[in-house]
Amino acid sequence: MDYILEVKNLRKKFKNFTLDSISFNLEPGYIMGFIGPNGAGKSTTIKLIMNLLKKDGGEIRIFGKDHEKYEKEVKNRIGFVYDENYYYEDLTVNTMKNIVASFYSNWDDNKFNGYMKEFDLNPKAKIKTLSKGMKMKFSLAVALSHNADLIIMDEPTSGLDPVFRREILDILYSVIQDEGKSIFFSTHITTDLEKIADYITFINKGKIVFSKPKDDVLQNYGIVKGGLDILDGNIRKEFIGIRETKVGFEALTDNMDKTRKMFGNKVLIERATLEDIMVYSVRR
Amino acid sequence: MLGILKRDISLLVSSKQTILFMIFYIPFLLFIAESFVPEYMYFMILVFYTYMMSIMSFTYDITGKSKYIMNSLPTNRKELVIYKYLSIFIYLAITIVYAGVYLWIIDTLKLADVDYFNLRGIINAIPTVMIYASIVFPAYLKFEPRIAQIINMVVFLSFFIISNNISYVGDKGALKYLGMIKWEYVMLLASTMYILSLLLSIHLYRNKDI
Repeated sequence: MDYILEVKNLRKKFKNFTLDSISFNLEPGYIMGFIGPNGAGKSTTIKLIMNLLKKDGGEIRIFGKDHEKYEKEVKNRIGFVYDENYYYEDLTVNTMKNIVASFYSNWDDNKFNGYMKEFDLNPKAKIKTLSKGMKMKFSLAVALSHNADLIIMDEPTSGLDPVFRREILDILYSVIQDEGKSIFFSTHITTDLEKIADYITFINKGKIVFSKPKDDVLQNYGIVKGGLDILDGNIRKEFIGIRETKVGFEALTDNMDKTRKMFGNKVLIERATLEDIMVYSVRR
Repeated sequence: MLGILKRDISLLVSSKQTILFMIFYIPFLLFIAESFVPEYMYFMILVFYTYMMSIMSFTYDITGKSKYIMNSLPTNRKELVIYKYLSIFIYLAITIVYAGVYLWIIDTLKLADVDYFNLRGIINAIPTVMIYASIVFPAYLKFEPRIAQIINMVVFLSFFIISNNISYVGDKGALKYLGMIKWEYVMLLASTMYILSLLLSIHLYRNKDI
């Protein structure tokens, strides 16, 4: 299969953290949510994909090509949005746009102007005068104005209010209507992904916990609630994570059918949210 | 590369700090170095301005936050480094025009005795900025910004002290020894340093975590 993004056994070692042979793939036309707690390795992975960090091992292929060997060609087809504004604060929106546009072979000024209008951005405004939300919209407008086939976003919605977040998610959803485009989207706001993601890749402590279709994840993972009387050492091992109180327990399972068969009506089983999955997996 | 040049010039004219530096540095130099021979004053202005503009542009992409943007755009590290090295000549050309106009105004208004165009000053400035770039650029790529800034300051002050000595009019000055050094040898040394430094910088930046 032709993947738009292939990460194979990717390794990067720092003094206090190691990204440990992670692998995942993204197909054209899908949104992949990249989740994990702070410090799990999300930004490191994105920086490695963008060749901002040098990998210690493994392989990254974008559009089927090695991301280092074909760096320029590959980056011409990538739109990027980072978690904070790295644009030059002293420049106006329009000057910054002109600078960025000169790097891309497929820059579309009409598209950019369309986004400027849609986002209510003043081209004459200096970047430093924009709010965090408006800066993010500017980044998004830049990322979407050169007909990129892959949009890479590192925590684009963090620090934004729900209205802004919803607007950004709606735009991403409209981008993905073009079946050839894909979005790789890291966040720890998992509710955003429940709305738009097709695949979820979960990373924790530098290791991939899973990389699966979102529907599979939400179908199989469940929160089990029951009394302490049914818990023993072996039962506890059946769960991914467990939280015990004086009156009972809540636990995460990745196999709701098996859990149902095991406990019958002694427990209550509910569908787990991505947040539940993240919280219980981290607590493990 | 045109994109980066466009960016650098936009930043140059949009930053208050740079504009202040551009406006006040020439009068500052004229004020602190009254006894300089006009030819050497011209040479010093060319070198200072070129050097400062190159370093400002260099640090934007190497130590500033915007390095993430620049390195995420469709370009590669080799191109970025080559641009940085070539840009010193572009800055020298900008400086020749800018300082020429500025000094011509000073000369016309008879505010000071200055050269506003001096071929020898330009010819001497070329190897000088090449040598500076050859030392300072790899330092910024190899070391953390604080150490690189110290190296930058050492080089900058060394230039100032050496120039001050060379330019001092009188028997104590080193001006009389300058004629003994052939420009061709200096240029050969500068070119060798420049090429070796460029290759080293490409290697360092290619393997650097941004």
